Amino acid sequence: MTQEPCIRLRGVTKTFGSGAEAKQAVGGLDLDIGTGEIVALLGPNGAGKTTTLDMVLGFTEPTSGTIEVFGQSPIGAVRAGRVSAVLQTGGLLRDLKVAETIELVASIHDAPLRTAEVIERAGLEAIANNKVQTCSGGEQQRLRFALALLADPDLLILDEPTAGMDVQARHDFWTAMRAEADRGRTIVFATHYLQEAEDFAERTVLVANGRLVADGPTEQVRRRAAGRRLAARFGADAIESAASTLQALPQAFHFERQGDRLIVESADSDDIARLVLGDLGGFDLEIEPASLERAFIQLTADSDIDHDLTEHDATNQTAGSPS
Amino acid sequence: MNTTYYRLELRRLRRDPVTLFFTVGLPAFFYLIFGAQPEYADDAVRDGNVAMWIMIAMAGYGAMTATTGIGGAAALERMQGWSRQLGLTPLRDHEYVGIKAATAVTVAAIPIAFVFAIGAVTGARAPLHVWAFSALALILGATIFALYGLSFGLAFRSEAAVSAAGGSLVVLSFLGNIFIPLTGWQLTLAKFTPLYGYISLARRALTGGATLDPNTGDLIDEPLWQVLANVSFWTIFLGVLATWLVRRGRGRQ
Repeated sequence: MTQEPCIRLRGVTKTFGSGAEAKQAVGGLDLDIGTGEIVALLGPNGAGKTTTLDMVLGFTEPTSGTIEVFGQSPIGAVRAGRVSAVLQTGGLLRDLKVAETIELVASIHDAPLRTAEVIERAGLEAIANNKVQTCSGGEQQRLRFALALLADPDLLILDEPTAGMDVQARHDFWTAMRAEADRGRTIVFATHYLQEAEDFAERTVLVANGRLVADGPTEQVRRRAAGRRLAARFGADAIESAASTLQALPQAFHFERQGDRLIVESADSDDIARLVLGDLGGFDLEIEPASLERAFIQLTADSDIDHDLTEHDATNQTAGSPS
Repeated sequence: MNTTYYRLELRRLRRDPVTLFFTVGLPAFFYLIFGAQPEYADDAVRDGNVAMWIMIAMAGYGAMTATTGIGGAAALERMQGWSRQLGLTPLRDHEYVGIKAATAVTVAAIPIAFVFAIGAVTGARAPLHVWAFSALALILGATIFALYGLSFGLAFRSEAAVSAAGGSLVVLSFLGNIFIPLTGWQLTLAKFTPLYGYISLARRALTGGATLDPNTGDLIDEPLWQVLANVSFWTIFLGVLATWLVRRGRGRQ
């Protein structure tokens, strides 16, 4: 899939503030995204997704490291109309009408698409003469999408594009986006919904605490991140052998022991449940989805060599990346 | 210049007739009360009269209110993410400022034209070149207050701050020597405030560089450099401040 490099990040860090109050939002990111790829930037809130995208769009400068977009500086790529973005919230003038907003932004661009075409592609025909302030969240997001299309960009960046949308609006939005992807646009979007990455992205880049945790085909990343957590109790006579069996399971990516309870996290929960209740003699079985946050913590712990982290430590560890 | 953007900016202002009514109506009302009514209205000020002297100040008051509002609204829209939207386009900061400045000048012209028109039919009197010079000085000088509103909004980052900027204009008006004629130390202090320099410059063609002593009705000389220093200082100071605040606000919001 990767042909001409479209986004290239090397050793990118971003620190806000200075001295004792300095907070590192991005801590050394290397990333290549090729032309034509559809990539999800997946991570919990505060993972550094927005900061990373802001740097790619030239809104902020990295503290260190380099960013190239189509071989030039981010600001250069934006001014050349090769990159555009659907911003998270705000960014609209409430007293303008939908069509006027498009007309205004079109007037700034050097070679914009026709207003009528953009209105149609974003599905705004019915509300073109409504004032922005009367539009719903989903309609405003479609307007932001229309504005992003005006420059006819090769790269489209979406920062949490469906935040605050209802199910139908979300569905419509991704349908429109798929049409843009089919036109050969490169699309990079930030989300904290695993489902969105799964439905739409071929490749998923997992970030947590400003670091890259996993990067690969979405299906692979999903299998790691979408685990279930199984907990069961065992009698004193059974627990030792059950513990050693479960710990040795290849499909379990996390194991821990809390008194008479054994906890396993795995993507393959059915087989393990059968095993626990059958041969191993477990009882009081509980199965719940492992939260994405926990999967991130898990993956973060995995990616650093420290496998001895207990669940408790990992949860409390705000930095998430030991040592 | 980008005429589409400029045209849409004016259309946005038309959608807010209440604000427009007050920026035009209030100074006209003030002029009729303070300028056209009193018995001294037709007293001579060089080749003109007192009504003219007051009319210039009231037109300036309207221009100041209008442009401060434009600057404040610009600050608000930037803070609400519009600057990020514009950051996705080739538009440069100075082009944005240019469009806003053109909008402000256009809007400043409305109360000035209206008050001047009322003045012309209610007894304000001066040679033609005095009318022309004062109108021009009022229009261009109004930039100071567009920058004032912009800086206020960007510095304090809230809708309340923009209202506060509007409220502060009342204080500036008194110090600008346009409602109650000041004397003594109050007049000395006033000479350092922006509205004072702005109005003094606009009145210059009428007064020939003097201010009216309210106790005696005599003219007190005022060197040209003082007025120019005042206007230049506030223009440059507020311009630099606004530019710095725009840059500061560009990051994450």
